[in-house]
Parts: sequence; C-alpha cells; structure tokens
Amino acid sequence: MHAQASHDQLQELIDNVSAMIYMKTIDDGRYILVNREWERLIKTGREQVVNLTDHEVFPRELADKLRENDLGVARAGHTVQFEETAEFDNGVRSYLSVKFPVLDSAGKAYAVCGISTDITDRIRAEEQVRELNADLEARVVERTSELQASARELDAFSYSVSHDLRAPLRSLHGFSQAILDDYGNLLDDVGRDYLNRLQVNVQRMAQMIDDLLNLSRATRADFARESVDLSGQARDIMADLAAADPDRTVEGVIADDLKALGDRALLRMVLQNLLANAWKYTARLPVARIEFGQLDRHGEQCFFVRDDGVGFDTKYADKLFTAFQRLHPAAEFEGNGIGLAIVQRIVRRHGGQVSAESDPGHGATFYFTVAGPTEATT
Amino acid sequence: MIEGTILLVDDNPDDVTLTLRAFRTNNITNQVDVASDGEEALNYLLPDGEYPPKPVLILLDINLPKISGLEVLRRVRNDDRTRYLPVVVLSTSSEDRDIVESYDLGANSYIRKPVVFNEFVEAVRVLGLYWLLVNQAVTAPKGG
Repeated sequence: MHAQASHDQLQELIDNVSAMIYMKTIDDGRYILVNREWERLIKTGREQVVNLTDHEVFPRELADKLRENDLGVARAGHTVQFEETAEFDNGVRSYLSVKFPVLDSAGKAYAVCGISTDITDRIRAEEQVRELNADLEARVVERTSELQASARELDAFSYSVSHDLRAPLRSLHGFSQAILDDYGNLLDDVGRDYLNRLQVNVQRMAQMIDDLLNLSRATRADFARESVDLSGQARDIMADLAAADPDRTVEGVIADDLKALGDRALLRMVLQNLLANAWKYTARLPVARIEFGQLDRHGEQCFFVRDDGVGFDTKYADKLFTAFQRLHPAAEFEGNGIGLAIVQRIVRRHGGQVSAESDPGHGATFYFTVAGPTEATT
Repeated sequence: MIEGTILLVDDNPDDVTLTLRAFRTNNITNQVDVASDGEEALNYLLPDGEYPPKPVLILLDINLPKISGLEVLRRVRNDDRTRYLPVVVLSTSSEDRDIVESYDLGANSYIRKPVVFNEFVEAVRVLGLYWLLVNQAVTAPKGG
C-alpha cells in the first residue's frame, strides 16, 4: 500500500510536468512508462502504449533515430542530451531531450528514461534575434555608406566653396585697389571712401568663407585621440595673440599641466576660438585678465576660459553657440559669430559639453568638458 | 634678377591681369607667358619638338580646366626636360590635401593667393626676390 501510494505520487508529479517524460526498455525499446504530456501529443493512452516501440508510434526514420539515441545512452552509461525533432498537429517541434539509463538492483541498465522539453519557441526566438541582428548590421552598413556619401558630398561642396567663392573676391579687391592706385587722384574723399568700404566688405566675406570652412572641417576632419597638452597650447595661442596686438596689456593666467584626451588640432581650435574671443571682448580694458583653468562644476571636471571683459546678456546665452548669431553689433566687435559654433561642434565630437556664464560688464566664462576615459564609462 | 621667361598657368583672366599687375608693381620685368589651362601648359612645357622653352619659374594654379595643375606638376617632374624647373603653386585652396599633394608631387613652394591685393603684391615681391635672385637653380639639367 505504501509502495502504491509512492508510485501514485510520482505519477502525479510527472503528469504535471510540461515536458514529455517516458521510459523504454533497452533490449527491445518497448515503452514501460509515459506521462500525460506524452499521451496528449502522441494521442495515445498509456494503456495502449505499454509494450509498443517507437516504430509503432513514430514514422520509421524518426523511430530509427530515437532508438539510436536511446542505445547511445545505454552504451554511455550516463546522462546525454539530444536535440530531437518530431512532427505533431501543431507542426514540426524541436525538443531538448535529456536521457539517462535506469539501473536495476544489480546496477545493470535495463531502461532509458527521457525528459523532452519543447524548445521550438526558444529556437525560433534565437533565429529571430539572429535575423534581426543581421538585418540591423545590414542597415548600419547601408546608413554608414549613405553617411559617408553625404560626407564626401559635403567635402566636395566645401572645397568648391573655398575655391570658387574666393576667386571673385580677389578680383573685387584687386581691381578696386587698382582704381585707388591708378585713378585715386580723380576721385574725391567720398569716392575713395566708397571703394574702401567695398574692400572692407570683401575682406569680411573672405573671412566668413574661411570661418565656414573651419566650421565644416571641425565636423569632418579625421579624428585622432591622444593626450593633448592644453596648457601648452593655451600659452602658444596667448603668445600669438599678444604678438599680433602688441599695444594691449593682457595678463594671461594659464594653469599648469592641463591635459585632455582628444584631437590635437581640433582642441587647439577650441582654445584658439575661446581665447581669441576673450582677447576681443576685453579690448577696451587698459589691463585685461584672461584665465584658462580647470574646476569642478556640478560634479564634473570642466575646463574654463574666463575674462573680465564686456560679457554678454545672459538672456541670449543659448544663442551664443549658433552659427552667425552675434550678441554685439558688428561695428563694436569684429566677427561673424562662427567661432563659438566651431567650439561647440568640436566639443560635442569629443563627447563633451560647452556652456557659458556672464556678469555683463564684468566678464564672461566659457566652460567645456572633454569626455576622458573615466567619464566615458559612466 | 635672372633673365628669362616666367610661365603663369591660370585659367582666370582676372587673376592673370592682377598677377601681371603685381609683377609690374614690383618691377619684375621678365617676360610672362600665360597658359590658361593644364593642356596648354603641357603643350608649352613638353612639346613634341626637341627644344622646348625653358621658363625660369612656373607659377601654377592647381584648379584648372581639362588637365589639373597637380597632373601638370606630376608630368613636369617626370620629364627630364623639366624635372628641375622651379614650380610655385599659387592656389586659392588652403586644403591640407592640396598642399600635401603638391609637395608630394615635387612643388618647390605653395602659396595661397590672398584676397587682399596688397598682401598678394607683397607675396609676389618676396617670391620674385627669392626665385629670381636668391635661389640657385639647376642650369644644365641632364638630358637638357
């Protein structure tokens, strides 16, 4: 009675498992036990199954395969996993079959027990993931080549702009100069003034073309990542600015040993623009102070360029970094508002952020970050 | 200054006029022959006949119709008759690749034409001073 109860409990257990469970004799492959899932799928009750072999249940080819696997387990003497396929009403299904030998009291294998779990959906999902990945890969390749094509077009466009727009400007400047040189005595002051204005505008346009080219270069130039000595670059730039404008008195305060990981030429362009800006907007001070350093801002290491010049109206701070946006009349301070757009593009390419603060009349501070190896992981 | 012809290769007639004016302003009195595209330049420098003219200096624009200035430069450097001629590239371009390629192909100098005319006059003055007076050129090139 005790043994029967125990048997019933075990039968209950295997009947409530979603996998197919079965046991077959080794010598002739006859079924000695199946669970309810097996009965459901094969549409055969356990009373009829006992004493049948796979050859009476499945098509011959599959039955041969199953028998071969079972004998393999008997030979191996331990648990073996197989992937098996069988066709049922709901189509061809794949199973992961765990099979192990069942030993008699003498320790000799007399049966093979199998637990077959339906893994069709899992395999299908895996295939889908593989297909999606392949699809994604193909799309990335396609988009990349599209991007490369448009980059090449932009490249060709920039080149043609640089060449073709400058040539007419040279003519305008050259021939107006020729008039001033050869026929200047035939003109009065007003006439000469008109020609001078024309030349100033030609130069302004030439500068704009160069700045636009720099802006486009900031985006498309090849990008190298190396350790860049920002302090050294800042000192060089300040020396250049001082040499070009010897009448100014500017105190440059450059922090030592500031380094960033990035593109040497592009980072130099950032410092060049920020320091030249600071130089420009402190022009009216008898003694100006321009500082380059690093500080902790909102928990992030920021580089900054600070000046004590005219500053800007903070209301328009977000417009600062847009190309051709100027916050000062052109007559007051030269420039066309491209420098800070270049700064922003380069900083973004370095995975960083740029921002600005000002106390109008007392100076401005420009902050930028460069994603280093430490920041990149967060 | 050394005597001899200067070959100016430029397709823009305005630029030609202004360059000639810059020569005059600087009292550079050498004869200037003008080729207005790459093909003309090659016909001038590397004709089928045996005695091509030997300019003392070539001023070469690189963006030219038909045959580009860089191609002209390449062929000039590959021909024994013209291998050692001083070639100064006068270009509008400040693109790195143009500069690098020009030097790779054997340009002796690269000047970006300034927009401001007086700066251009000054560039031509320095250029004339150096290539027509200071520089020692090859006078008897091999095969010449």
